[in-house]
Amino acid sequence: MKSGEYTMKVNDNCVGCGQCTAFCKLDAIEVRGKANMTAACIDCKTCSAYCPVKAIEA
Amino acid sequence: MKAIIIGSGLGGLLSAAKLSQSGYEVDVFERLPIVGGRFTNIPYKGFQLSTGALHMLPHGPTGPLAQLLEEIGVNVEIVRRKPNVVIRIPRKRGDTDYKYGHKDILFEDFRTQFSLLNRIKLIYYIVSTRKNPPTGQSFEQWCRKHLDQDWTYRLSDAFFGWALSLKAADVPVEEGFAIIENLYHYGGPGVPMGGCKGITNALVNVIRSNGGIIHTSSEVSSLITEDGKVTGVIAEGKEYNTDIVLSDIGHPATSKMIGEETGILGMDKYAHNAAELKPSAGIKICLSSDKTLIGHGGVLLTPYAKRVNGINEVTNVDPSLAPEGKHLTMAHQCVHWNDMDNLEKEIQLGLEDLMDIFAGKEYEVLLIQSYSNDWPVNRSPSGADLKNKTPIPNLYVVGDGAKGKGGIEVEGIALGVKNSMQDLLIK
Ligand SMILES: Cc1cc2nc3c(=O)[nH]c(=O)nc-3n(C[C@H](O)[C@H](O)[C@H](O)COP(=O)(O)OP(=O)(O)OC[C@H]3O[C@@H](n4cnc5c(N)ncnc54)[C@H](O)[C@@H]3O)c2cc1C
Ligand code: SF4
Ligand code: SF4
Repeated sequence: MKSGEYTMKVNDNCVGCGQCTAFCKLDAIEVRGKANMTAACIDCKTCSAYCPVKAIEA
Repeated sequence: MKAIIIGSGLGGLLSAAKLSQSGYEVDVFERLPIVGGRFTNIPYKGFQLSTGALHMLPHGPTGPLAQLLEEIGVNVEIVRRKPNVVIRIPRKRGDTDYKYGHKDILFEDFRTQFSLLNRIKLIYYIVSTRKNPPTGQSFEQWCRKHLDQDWTYRLSDAFFGWALSLKAADVPVEEGFAIIENLYHYGGPGVPMGGCKGITNALVNVIRSNGGIIHTSSEVSSLITEDGKVTGVIAEGKEYNTDIVLSDIGHPATSKMIGEETGILGMDKYAHNAAELKPSAGIKICLSSDKTLIGHGGVLLTPYAKRVNGINEVTNVDPSLAPEGKHLTMAHQCVHWNDMDNLEKEIQLGLEDLMDIFAGKEYEVLLIQSYSNDWPVNRSPSGADLKNKTPIPNLYVVGDGAKGKGGIEVEGIALGVKNSMQDLLIK
């Protein structure tokens, strides 16, 4: 999959706490003030359940 | 008697453990798949990072939280190491940053950095403010009037930034002095063995061994009220009945859950006051290194950094928080509400600070974690907390939106839980 093709979206609720990245098995989330999915994301949705502010939408 | 707890943060778990020990049938509902809220570990690249806290209890083994844990029968070793709090100052007097070297002084010796006049004044204030605590202004305003010196502002901003993620200008003077008083009374910080999870896990064990149930991935969507009392909750579409509810999700979210059109006396005022609370924001930068960066298990306050307020290196107390041969160091900086839109820049300034503070040392940035709004450092800034009660007599709010007076962070949570329990268990 090429960069930008994944469907996971991070909305404005995101505070940048990094919780999602710790639970992504593919290390596909970069966090710096806000989370961003990288090309490694396979849309498995695991991260979304761990977000404390419901910021990750499929 | 049945009790329902909304949220498995430290406030929720402490309440659930205490109630389950006192004979209540307890159900805890947690929205996330993990338990502990902002006070548990997250494994990351072999390190035990955390969902929030810096693996440190403000008053260590002798504080309100340690006392409450003992009362509940939770056995966690909390270690206070010497030096307990150290302040990093520039090597040369007159310098305003760490670029040309630094030296570390013990917290106890903070007076040595004051002018002679201010040192004399300080002796007087220590006595007079205890007798007549000042009121009606911010801690910073008080300092301007009484100890007007660059050092006063730097030190108080570093201290309150580390302890509360607030600037001294945002700490009410009453709360500031109550905190200083508590520091003398309860003593300085300590690290729980196993980190935050050492404590939350132990609480989970107590709750389960008393027959309590913790439902994870279970969000409470609403409260059921009848005649001004709460009779149950709805979680994941199912109804659960109860005699009392403790909410660990803060006053604003709790008040929204009660809703507006209930006809409950005092609801309007409660909803209004809850909406006024401004959560405190902060940034935590987690570092990995082969060699120790600060060299002790206490706190390093950095009043001459641009943004970083303080740093700890918990692996000097509990090496198991990092892979073998590695250290885990965490830096905290307060983010002022005005700077919330410039988080990128705040992070950059924090990283630059660390390069100065640890000049010549090798480390790697593991993870940068920021906190605000609905997942903040503290749900209500210290000193502005609403108490634990709500307009509904059998609904209490616990956690860091309802801390006890002068209670820093989790110590304040413990004081608030104690107050609620006194009320509830006597009733
Ligand atoms: C960067 C940072 C550093 C900190 N450092 C320290 C420190 O070193 N020492 C210290 O003492 N304190 C520290 N703190 C503060 C401390 O972590 C918090 O005060 C404390 O963990 C908050 O606990 P709580 O019980 O109030 O709430 P939370 O931990 O937020 O728990 C609330 C829980 O409720 C759940 N929830 C929310 N809504 C619902 C719902 N509708 N249904 C079910 N569940 C729900 C949430 O998922 C969460 O798990 C720090 C905090 C941060 C962010
Ligand atoms: S867990 Fe949620 S809030 Fe935290 S960084 Fe990820 S998306 Fe943002
Ligand atoms: S959807 Fe899966 S792969 Fe993509 S970021 Fe989330 S956890 Fe990682």
